[in-house]
Amino acid sequence: MNIITLENVCKNYPAFSLKNVSFSLEKGKITGFIGRNGAGKTTTIKAMLNLIHLDGGEISYFGLPLLKNENEIKQRIGYSTGTVSWYPRRTLHDIIEVTKGFYRNWNDEECRRYMELFGLDENKKPMELSEGMKVKCNLLIALSHGSEVLILDEPTSGLDPFSRDELLEVFRQLKENGVTILFSTHITSDLERCADNILYISHGEIRADAAKSEFMERYGKPDETLEEIFLRMERENKK
Amino acid sequence: MKALMKKEIRLSASVLTYIFIVAGAMTLIPGYPVLCGAFFVTLGIFYSFQNAREANDIVYTILLPIAKRDVVKGKFIFSIMIEMAGFLVMAVLTILRMTVFSEAAPYRENALMNANPFFLGMALIIFGLFNLVFIAGFFKTAYKFTPFVSYIIATFLTIGIAETAHHIPNLSPVNAFGTEHLGLQLILLSAGAAIYAILTIIGYKTSCRRFEIIDL
Repeated sequence: MNIITLENVCKNYPAFSLKNVSFSLEKGKITGFIGRNGAGKTTTIKAMLNLIHLDGGEISYFGLPLLKNENEIKQRIGYSTGTVSWYPRRTLHDIIEVTKGFYRNWNDEECRRYMELFGLDENKKPMELSEGMKVKCNLLIALSHGSEVLILDEPTSGLDPFSRDELLEVFRQLKENGVTILFSTHITSDLERCADNILYISHGEIRADAAKSEFMERYGKPDETLEEIFLRMERENKK
Repeated sequence: MKALMKKEIRLSASVLTYIFIVAGAMTLIPGYPVLCGAFFVTLGIFYSFQNAREANDIVYTILLPIAKRDVVKGKFIFSIMIEMAGFLVMAVLTILRMTVFSEAAPYRENALMNANPFFLGMALIIFGLFNLVFIAGFFKTAYKFTPFVSYIIATFLTIGIAETAHHIPNLSPVNAFGTEHLGLQLILLSAGAAIYAILTIIGYKTSCRRFEIIDL
C-alpha cells in the first residue's frame, strides 16, 4: 500500500528546476533519499510539506491530495530537519507544551521515553544544544504525536556514531510498527544499515528508485559500497 | 485557535511587546505628542515579529496541523490583542484627562493635540495602519521588515496631521477639553474605530492572499 505518492511534481526557480518528480513510498518501509547538495532533495521535501508552490504535479498522502487535506495529513506525519533550530531561546519544555496542543494523538509517555532515550533535558534551550542534540529535539517532537510517516531531512547530520546508531535503531523499531520513513542523507553508510529503498535524485530529476538490493545490483559493481555507487553515478551524470 | 494563541504568547512574542503596552501611558505626558504612544505600542508588536523571524516561527507554525491562513490569523489576533490593551490604557487615561485633569494648566496650555475621543480615534487609525501597511507588507515575503519603514512614514504623517489639525480654522472642536463637543468627539471616535476595522480586515485578507502564494 502506497502511503505517499508524488506525480510529476515540477517546481521552477530561476537557477534550478524540479522536473517531473514521481515516486511513491510503501507503508512500513525506510527510504533513503540521496543526491548531492543542490540536487533537489530539500526542494522535494519542502514540496511534500507544502512549504512551496508547485508549478505542476500532485502530492498525496494516504490516498488524500495534500492541498485539500493539509490539516488532516499533518496530524499524521512528522518532520525533522537537521539544520534548523526552532525557538532557540525558549526551553524545550515550553516548546513541547505549546506544540502538543496542536496534535490530537500527542503521547506524553512516548515524549518522556524519547526524551530519556535521546538524553534531552527539557529545561535546556535549543541555543544551548549541540547540532546533534537539536536534531534529536526535532525528532522528539516528530515522534511524540504518533506519526505514521516521518519525513526527515538529514536527521543524522551532526550526530556522533553512537547517537546515529541509536537513531537508526529507533527507525528500525518504528518501521516494525508500520511507520513509513523517508530520510535524506549524505551518510550513505546509514542507508546500508537500515534503508529498504533508495531514491536517487540528480539535477532535479529522479534517476533511480528501487529496493536497496535491486539498486546495488542494477547500478553497482561487485563489492561496491553504496557510497561508491553514488559517487560513480554522480561523476557519470556530470559527463 | 487556543493552541495557536498559546504559541503566539509563549513562543513567538517578545517580552518587549508587553512592556511597550505601557507606552499607552504617554497619554498623560503634558506638551508631548501623545499619539506617539500608539506608535510605540505597535513598535512593541514589531519586536515580536522580529523575535518570530529569528526563531523560525513562521515555518515551524506552518508545519503544524493548521491551515496557512491560520498562521496569518494568529499574528493578527495577537497584534489586535496588544493594540486593544494599549488602547485600553490610553482610553482610561484619556477619561482621566477629560474629567479630573480637564482644567489642569499643563494640559490646557498645549500646542499639540489634547487627549480626547478624537485622539483615541486617531490612535485606532494608527493601529489600523500597522495592520495594513506593516503586517500585510510583511506577509509578502514572511521575512522582510522593509514595510515597517513605510509604516513609520505613514504613521508620522498621520501623527503630524492629527497633532496640529486643531490649528486649522474651523477645526478647533477636534481639540475639545472635558466634555465639550462630546457628540462630535464620539462621532470622530466611531469613525476612527470604523477605519481601524476596515484597515485591519483589508490587511488580514491581503496578508492571507500574499502568504498563500509565497515559497518558504
